[in-house]
Amino acid sequence: MTAAAKPRQLIFWLMLIAIAVGVTLFLTVRLFSGSTPDEWYNNMLAAADYQSIVMVNALVGISVALLVHQLRWNALRVIVTVIVALILGYFMTVFFNLDTANKYTQGEFKVSVLSEATPVENTEVDLEYGLSRGGEFNKPNVKEPLTEAVYTFAGSQGDVVSILAFVANRRSTVNLEVELLGPDGTLLLASTGATEEEVERFSENDVRSADDAVLADFALPADGVYTIQARPEVVPFNVVIDEALTSTNAAYDAFLLGALGRVNRWASWIQDALTLILVGLSIAIVFRAQQFSLGAEGQLYLGALVSGAIVLSFTQLPALLLIPLAILGSMVAGFLWGLLPGALKAYLGANELVATLMLNTVAIRFFEMVLTMQLKPPGAGYNSSEVFVAAGQFQPIVANTQVTIAVYLVIITVIVTWLLITRTPLGYEIRMVGANRKFAEYGGVNTRRTIMLAMAVSGIVAGLAGAHLSMGIFRQLVSGMSFGLAFEGVVVALLARNNPLVIPFTGLLYAYLRAGAQFMERDANVSFEIVRIIQAVIILLITAEALVAFFQARRQRQRSLAHSSAVVAVEEGAHV
Amino acid sequence: MSLLEARDIIKVYPNGVLANDGVSLSVEPREIHAIVGENGAGKSTLMKILYGLEQPTSGQIFLNDKPVEIDSTHTAIDMRIGMVHQNFMLVDSFTIAENIALGREPRKGITIDRKQAIEDTKALSKTYGLHVDALAKVEAVPVGMRQRVEILKALYRGAEILILDEPTAVLTPRETTDLFVAIRNLVKEGKTVIFITHKLREVMEISDRVTVMRDAKVVGTVTTAETSIPELARMMVGREVFMVVDKPPVQHGKPVLETKNLTYANEAGRALVNHVSFTAYESEILGIAGVEGNGQTELVEVLTGLREATSGEAWVDGQSIIGHGPRRVREARVTHIPEDRLSNGLARDASIVENLIIDRYYREPFTRRGILQPNAIRQNGRELIAQFGILAQSGDVPVGSLSGGNMQKVIVAREFSSSPRLLIAAQPTRGVDIGAIEFIHQQLVDKRTQGLSILLISADLQEVMKLADRIMVMYNGEVVAVLPNTPDLTEEHLGLYMLGAARQTHEEMEAAL
Repeated sequence: MTAAAKPRQLIFWLMLIAIAVGVTLFLTVRLFSGSTPDEWYNNMLAAADYQSIVMVNALVGISVALLVHQLRWNALRVIVTVIVALILGYFMTVFFNLDTANKYTQGEFKVSVLSEATPVENTEVDLEYGLSRGGEFNKPNVKEPLTEAVYTFAGSQGDVVSILAFVANRRSTVNLEVELLGPDGTLLLASTGATEEEVERFSENDVRSADDAVLADFALPADGVYTIQARPEVVPFNVVIDEALTSTNAAYDAFLLGALGRVNRWASWIQDALTLILVGLSIAIVFRAQQFSLGAEGQLYLGALVSGAIVLSFTQLPALLLIPLAILGSMVAGFLWGLLPGALKAYLGANELVATLMLNTVAIRFFEMVLTMQLKPPGAGYNSSEVFVAAGQFQPIVANTQVTIAVYLVIITVIVTWLLITRTPLGYEIRMVGANRKFAEYGGVNTRRTIMLAMAVSGIVAGLAGAHLSMGIFRQLVSGMSFGLAFEGVVVALLARNNPLVIPFTGLLYAYLRAGAQFMERDANVSFEIVRIIQAVIILLITAEALVAFFQARRQRQRSLAHSSAVVAVEEGAHV
Repeated sequence: MSLLEARDIIKVYPNGVLANDGVSLSVEPREIHAIVGENGAGKSTLMKILYGLEQPTSGQIFLNDKPVEIDSTHTAIDMRIGMVHQNFMLVDSFTIAENIALGREPRKGITIDRKQAIEDTKALSKTYGLHVDALAKVEAVPVGMRQRVEILKALYRGAEILILDEPTAVLTPRETTDLFVAIRNLVKEGKTVIFITHKLREVMEISDRVTVMRDAKVVGTVTTAETSIPELARMMVGREVFMVVDKPPVQHGKPVLETKNLTYANEAGRALVNHVSFTAYESEILGIAGVEGNGQTELVEVLTGLREATSGEAWVDGQSIIGHGPRRVREARVTHIPEDRLSNGLARDASIVENLIIDRYYREPFTRRGILQPNAIRQNGRELIAQFGILAQSGDVPVGSLSGGNMQKVIVAREFSSSPRLLIAAQPTRGVDIGAIEFIHQQLVDKRTQGLSILLISADLQEVMKLADRIMVMYNGEVVAVLPNTPDLTEEHLGLYMLGAARQTHEEMEAAL
């Protein structure tokens, strides 16, 4: 190592530590909000198991530092990919929110005519002095929604009338305008709102805001039947955009920071991340061998089933025996369910994608069958087993959450997977088979065995994810436990370029987005679909790696151009 | 007046490599202009610039003395420049006519007029004397014909200037001769040909003028009639090249490899290797000559365990190596320089260091107690990189980032360094520049002098005749002759056996075995 490299190394490590500490602090500060440091500190101390929370936050910080350590500047690529997806998602959300302004054109309304004059007897008209009528504008899901209300009343010359159009209940937000037409049909007067005085004066008559419309103290010019037309005001485009942006901002606020609002929300992020990291690791192993196996879903179900069955059967065992036994069971189940398609692929040439998808269905149906026929308590209305005994549950490390000792399990799995891939002969074989199968074969690697083992070992990790789901999160076996988690693992693995040390970061990131999506749905009433869209965009961007390579090449070309012109300049200088 | 001229072309690649450094080239109408240079001298880059695949960093291109900008291959085609790449760009499952018409299909309404395409192909083929079978699928025809398809494709698009990028690298001697006839025909019809190669004999045979490139610069342009192979070689390498290897005579030792009735039949039941029996000895290079496609590739793959023999046996030092896979063969201390280095000799995306341990990673000191030892692996890489003069920034860069010659050196380093008993070298110098050829040849001879048994398979008859102690000729999957490589052995004599015109009797063969 050169002398110049040492300080650079040192700076790099200092930067990594700064990143880890910074992320830890940010998460912890957001989580225990407080206006002053003291208040914040007391809030933190007041939280149950705050030491564990800080520890987990520190692990998140370390994950980010690991990302930078592993990928160097390419870490930016991962982050930029996600940011671009988020920005695209933002514009899509704005687009979907363009209807937010519809609230100004729909809702229940009423129209009243007030006058102290004597009412004129006329049975042909809709209204008389002192009465009101109403309806609902642009009612959703109606074939021919009401867009304009027309009422008539009879009046005598000189009658002083006030005409009010107002929302009929507090839920309605329709913005009204009203017009008065004379007996001959000419427009006499129009109003799109109410002044502050008018609101005050007619508050007894239910006028509540400037959005209602008031025509006050108008002396009728002649006898006859007058017509009132009330309709929602046309919403200007800038208001439509404003409203869409406001609601999107609120949604994105919930999306990006919602997970740090309360400890239980934070916990749901972390627990989801743990599952995703395990599944991501599982998929990274097979992807490293260039096997597009999607068997994690089935392996996960079987892992959950076996661990659950062990816990439900050996209720008398102490936790120290029961939990390792159940974990081991899930690993064996995953191993075998990975070995099977592995052997099919290696020795019979069955396409691994088809084989694993088929075997997924088999595993899921088998899980459902055992659950319904064997494990479900008799008479239970829903499809789930009994809740596990305490000895068969992962101990929470943060009280009242599902952030459990699975944290440690995941740390160990990350390290072991990394060692397996980079530090064992099998890992080397997996990498070489993935890099060029013909080369591995030529070099004497038993590529069939390697492929089979890669798929089986991947199954072990997926089985572990199943154990985490059953013993850590649900604490019972539930129908449809995974709902496609394993496929999310593909995104996690791809985003990390199948690097086991980057997967903790991508798993956390992806779980953060998933959690944020839930809170967005809950807090800001934006559908979960938007997250699906962001997801799809991320996958598209990853697959569009060529684009990134393109920009990199361009940047480098510009740099080398600048370099070569500098050289030319120097040479020319020499000539002078 | 020049037809196509490049002036002061500078090309800097994004990774900082200076591939062309003030290169100027002038091609006259209706000439065959050869461009020679070692790998990495910048020939291909220059051609890519002329064909619009790369943009020059600076410099100008003139067509008929008018400055032009060739910003894409479409522009190049519009300017009537065509290029035939080293690796063919054909759709294997399409017929030849379809391939030629692809992109410029004659139409009948909204459908493609296949009949017209076939007729066009036949007419074109006849005009230029480039024989192809218009209805055959590309996957079913030999390499030579594929190349003719590529040339026709360029002509179909109206090419007046044809760039041929190392066209003979993939051809048998016979096919090369045919190609040269075709090139002369093209010139007769008014075309201009730019011919890239690093085989000097071909330059002398076919070209009118030669431009020699070295280290991204043009060394000079000379008229072929006024130069010689040694002069061109000196220009290319920048020093005297000793095309002869120092090969001391040695007595061969004990038998190392023995094969008996080795047979391999493909799915269709055709015997591609047919009852091959021979013996290779210590301190001997046994050359296997033959026109490509006569079973040499399959024989090598059977011997190295990559293909399963249909019948027959082979032993290395008395130990059977047939039917147990490549690991067993390697354990018997057989190493193998494969014919196609990119397909199975290397993993492009893996680092040099990782590529250097594929045969030994599981043994001490690379694996101890089931754990890989990164230090030992790096150490191995460093040593081999230094010993074999592999030019690389570090052992951790992907092999795919190296030049062709250096990739080949990585393979040679790995296969030479595992103390083999038998080395099977298939086309060890294919696509490698003169400097590296010298190096590899000397290594092969030195190893043989030290006692190694070497099986040398080469399409280059001169290479076999230069290096081998004995030459075994294969024709149609069979061994048709085994000859000691005496000074009076001629190419013509070998050619008779290679083309199946002659065959040794059983007794003659026995005598040489």
